[in-house]
Amino acid sequence: MTIIGSPYHLFLLAIAVPIGMFFGAIPGLGGKLGIVLVIPFVFGMDAVAGALFLIAMHSVVHTGGSVPSILFGVPGTGPDAATIVDGLPMTRNGEAGRALGAAFGASGVGGVIGGLFLLALLPLLQPIVLAFSPAEFFLLALFGITLIAMLSGDSLVKGLMVGFFGLMIAFVKLDPQTGIERYTFGQLFLWDGVNIIAAVLGIFAIPEMIALGASGGSMAGDSKINASYGLKGVLRGIGDVFRHWGLTIRTSLIGAFIGMIPGLGGDAASWICYGHAAQSSKTPERFGKGAVEGVIAPETANNSKEGGSLLPTLFFAVPGSSGMAILLGAFVMLGIQPGPALALPENMDIVWILIWGLMLANVLAVLMFIVVAPGLGYLSYVRGNLLIPFVLLLTFLGAFLAIRSWENMVVLTALGVLGYFLKKYHWPRPPFVIGLILGPIAEDSFHKAMSLWGPAFLLRPGALVMIGLIVLTIGFYVYRLVSHKEKPEWLREDDD
Amino acid sequence: MTINSILNGRVATALVMLLIFLSMSLLALGFTEKARLMPLLIGIPGTVLGIIELFNEMRASVKAAASGDTSNDVSEAERAMFGWVIAFFLGILCFGFIYAGPLLVFSFMLAGKKESLKVGLISAAGTFIVVYGFFQNVMEIPLFEGLVIEWLLG
Repeated sequence: MTIIGSPYHLFLLAIAVPIGMFFGAIPGLGGKLGIVLVIPFVFGMDAVAGALFLIAMHSVVHTGGSVPSILFGVPGTGPDAATIVDGLPMTRNGEAGRALGAAFGASGVGGVIGGLFLLALLPLLQPIVLAFSPAEFFLLALFGITLIAMLSGDSLVKGLMVGFFGLMIAFVKLDPQTGIERYTFGQLFLWDGVNIIAAVLGIFAIPEMIALGASGGSMAGDSKINASYGLKGVLRGIGDVFRHWGLTIRTSLIGAFIGMIPGLGGDAASWICYGHAAQSSKTPERFGKGAVEGVIAPETANNSKEGGSLLPTLFFAVPGSSGMAILLGAFVMLGIQPGPALALPENMDIVWILIWGLMLANVLAVLMFIVVAPGLGYLSYVRGNLLIPFVLLLTFLGAFLAIRSWENMVVLTALGVLGYFLKKYHWPRPPFVIGLILGPIAEDSFHKAMSLWGPAFLLRPGALVMIGLIVLTIGFYVYRLVSHKEKPEWLREDDD
Repeated sequence: MTINSILNGRVATALVMLLIFLSMSLLALGFTEKARLMPLLIGIPGTVLGIIELFNEMRASVKAAASGDTSNDVSEAERAMFGWVIAFFLGILCFGFIYAGPLLVFSFMLAGKKESLKVGLISAAGTFIVVYGFFQNVMEIPLFEGLVIEWLLG
């Protein structure tokens, strides 16, 4: 704490935080590119300062990413896509300030809880990380997929179809088992699969811009009467985070736990937490229409998972996410060798510094954003005519930069047109992203588990716990259908 | 009741979704046993759900047509916006971000939304500064130059 409290290190934090938020806020840039671009600048620093700078920058990327998600429906980074589902409707309802406040507050609290989670788990980390085999991975992915039903709103058939569509799109790539081409039609850029950034931008951002252009007006629509884009709205949003303290803590812990498991990543964390928020709410029908809990849940998860993913990154040299993989390389360049040796008492200083740096950076990001948030909120009242061309250009730029391939823009346009019709005719779009993200994880781990244990993999203790969770989730949904008026469209007698 | 009154955007969306599942499932039959397992596991139920949804949508459309509801049709403003999305795509694809970006922003403002020349020019200049100045030069991110420009430059 003495080291991190030095003016020099605090100065570094104060520089790293806005840089990280900037990379998060610009679609297509993201934290990975940010780290890559600043590596030359930190290379000459001492290891502690350089690592602190990088971790601070990386840990607040998603805080910045929530801004375009909430204001324009354009996710700054992949994991921020879940924030759109309720963040954008809040903007449309004239609550941009509140949504931004909730996002920043949730990000800050999530980041701090993620750091505390890491601190608490330091003594237990090895058995927990090693307990996850392909069998548990498969069932965890399946658990995430069952959340599709929760996000389907009033039409289960449409929700399932969109979720399945996401899964089918996830199968567009070289088959991981046999290496044969699946739905790639000889296109090299599809060998690694459909890029998530392009798909998410297509399904969410393009339809929003078409709708805005077709209807005229601004992102906030005609909601000026109830507008809360000033500091008051932002503070109300931050207050919401603490009013829903149970949800905030739960989703922070779930996010940190998912972040700890290599291979699942931030996208899964934010969607699973969003699904959890909808599932545990007494009024799930508000979700997708501007429920503040729908902003809090993914935002806490986005930042808390960074704390969780530091665990395998630092102590097993197994990156918890792709961003952590680049961070791992940067640490090595700085002379920090991740691995079990870091857990030795003489090396723990650097671990403590990184954990405190991560938590301080999150708090600092919130303070910085509170100052600028009211100004950002006003952007939602800018006439659509002035916004649409810039957002469209930025969307195409984001899709291109994601894999530096122009073919990605074809995917973006095709999914954008389809996404608009899904939006217009009330097909829930969030299940698409869940399917797209969890599909490859489910398929890959299923084949691995089958090769290792055959069908008996379902009887492993961890797998049984996961099966229990899945059964509980489905049971809860069925119970809700039976007891609640929330009947899906296909079950209604007087269907329109 | 005519076919045209049932075939609106709502039904077409359900039909497209059904066709996606059907065609992907049929294509999967040509894969090896391991490679087709998951696509078929999802594709077949997806096709069945697609048929159910298409039926639901057709039923709803018949009711809507009978009551004179036209909200399921695609409006002129929507068609114009689709045109702009395609224009952005083709413009960037042919001439890249640096050239097409400012031009498209300018055209959208003036031709598409009848903004003033001053607003159009300022927006185009701002776009050029961000794309060329910031992304290309400050960040040193090589941007797509466009197929036509690449072809012209050899």
